[in-house]
Amino acid sequence: MPGTTRARRWLLNGVALLAALVFAFPVYWMFVTAFKPADQIQTYVPVFLPSPTLDNFIKAINVPHFTDFLRNSLLIAGTTLGLALVVGFLTAVTLARAKVRGRKGFLLLVAIAQMAPFEALLIPFFLVMRDTGLYNQMPSLVIVYFIFTLPFTIWSLRGFIAGIPVDLEESAMVDGCSRLGAFVRVTLPLLGPGLVATAIFCFITAWNEYFYAFVFMTDVQNYTLPVWLASFRTNFGTDWGATMAASTLFTLPVLVFFLAVQGRMVGGLTTGAVKG
Amino acid sequence: MIGSTTRAKARRDAPGLAGVPSRRRSRLSRLAGQSLPYVALLPALVTFVLLLGYPVLLVIEMSLQHIGLRELISGATTWVGLDNFAAILADRQFVAVTIRTFVFMAVNVALTVVLGTLVALLLDRIARIPRLILSAAMVLAWAMPALTGSVVFQWLFDSKLGVVNWALSSVGIFGSWLNHSWFDTGLSTFGIITLLIVWQAIPFVAFSLYGGILAIPHELTEAAKVDGASDRQVFRHVILPGLRPLLMMLAFLSIIWDFKVFTQVFTIRQGGPDGQTITLSIFAYITGLSQSRFGIAAAVSVVMVVLLLLVLIPYIRRMLRTQEDV
Repeated sequence: MPGTTRARRWLLNGVALLAALVFAFPVYWMFVTAFKPADQIQTYVPVFLPSPTLDNFIKAINVPHFTDFLRNSLLIAGTTLGLALVVGFLTAVTLARAKVRGRKGFLLLVAIAQMAPFEALLIPFFLVMRDTGLYNQMPSLVIVYFIFTLPFTIWSLRGFIAGIPVDLEESAMVDGCSRLGAFVRVTLPLLGPGLVATAIFCFITAWNEYFYAFVFMTDVQNYTLPVWLASFRTNFGTDWGATMAASTLFTLPVLVFFLAVQGRMVGGLTTGAVKG
Repeated sequence: MIGSTTRAKARRDAPGLAGVPSRRRSRLSRLAGQSLPYVALLPALVTFVLLLGYPVLLVIEMSLQHIGLRELISGATTWVGLDNFAAILADRQFVAVTIRTFVFMAVNVALTVVLGTLVALLLDRIARIPRLILSAAMVLAWAMPALTGSVVFQWLFDSKLGVVNWALSSVGIFGSWLNHSWFDTGLSTFGIITLLIVWQAIPFVAFSLYGGILAIPHELTEAAKVDGASDRQVFRHVILPGLRPLLMMLAFLSIIWDFKVFTQVFTIRQGGPDGQTITLSIFAYITGLSQSRFGIAAAVSVVMVVLLLLVLIPYIRRMLRTQEDV
């Protein structure tokens, strides 16, 4: 009996490592291809550990308008993050700390907004942007992404604020702090990690978004990175090295940010239903 | 500080406790204090009601109108009642796309939830080091932007230089996969898309369920084992009931995501080959943006949401019920 359980444990550990290989391999293959010299890509028998070169990255960066795409993506994701955080924070603080009538109704509204199927709203949003002259302009994407990320921002920040006991602020006020002073000096520092996690989520959502960016941005210089990357066949033909280098450049910030906050995301995503 | 009213302040303001230094000032400040929270909620309220509410109303309005390119430019509106809906329901392609979307969604959700559960159980039973390695690998897959995933999978499954064709050929038993093209048929293309979606979706499901398994009191599983329950029985009668609300939630989320997914399906082959991988969200996009039949596209969007709601009704009801139980 002990023998079979030990054999089973080995088997399970083996299966786990195999699964890990399956999950990690596409990411590994992207990185490794990006660093390969052309002759190591153009072989039928793949090279698993290449002699690294930066040629592909140089090629990807030197594509016309690359700096435009990067700037657009950063600007749009940054503005979305700023807007969502300011409005979301204001709302979350009020919902978590103030006594307002209709709080339940408001929370329901947030929950509904969170489930709104944005894929089904493309046509009306397109029309609105066209009528207001925002079509093919960066603000059109900022507005859509802001609406898209605000519900989660409120939900998440409200949870973080509610997790900090009011008593802490009250004791600071007993010690002579003003209401605002207590909030700034006591609650805000404790809120730091929650704010960062929420901000990163907003940034990643806007940075990754493809559907609306693809439809709204018609001029090449207004493309965001995902729109550019999706048309890799017209950019790079069958140059997989440059394509993977471009993919790596686009993915790297997401990966770094994601690793920083993923522990927080698991619980946060299931407690407040989120869309993807 | 007139600022935000708080639970603490409200408590102090409660009748009987309120100190009355100067009646007029306190009434003024209370008024300001009471209205300030509502002012703070205003931006979010405007966003949801106007910025989100208006497009929602607009899509319903458009679905009842005839809007082509000409109407878009002239601004003239022609109300056609339910003609758009009648037109799409009579359209054989729309019906085929709808059925296809349902099957696609069902396969993706089933695979995601079942494999995610298996991985969660695996995480619970393996040693620390393999668990760390598997977790790290899953975080990588999870963090990958959907779009990059789509680009990388096209490279993995490239017919000439793709590593998958090489690997399958090297194993030998499957014969030669040299120059095999994965994107020639709709079914095969769907296979790759499903692989991509499930690969990216499993980590979130598995991590959530693993968290759920850890939350099940150890005494429960131990007691069941002492009473002679087999591993399978422990899973069926102890773990599974404990995970049910979470599983429900994850299935619910997966249905929403996979039913209306656009990026992965569209970027792999733009609905090809031959329109065989067009799903509802791509259909709405093509009808609206490529063919400029905006009224029809709006009707498709409305039908899409209604269908999604119909699928989700049993879930929503059961989730409400389980929440009442708790």
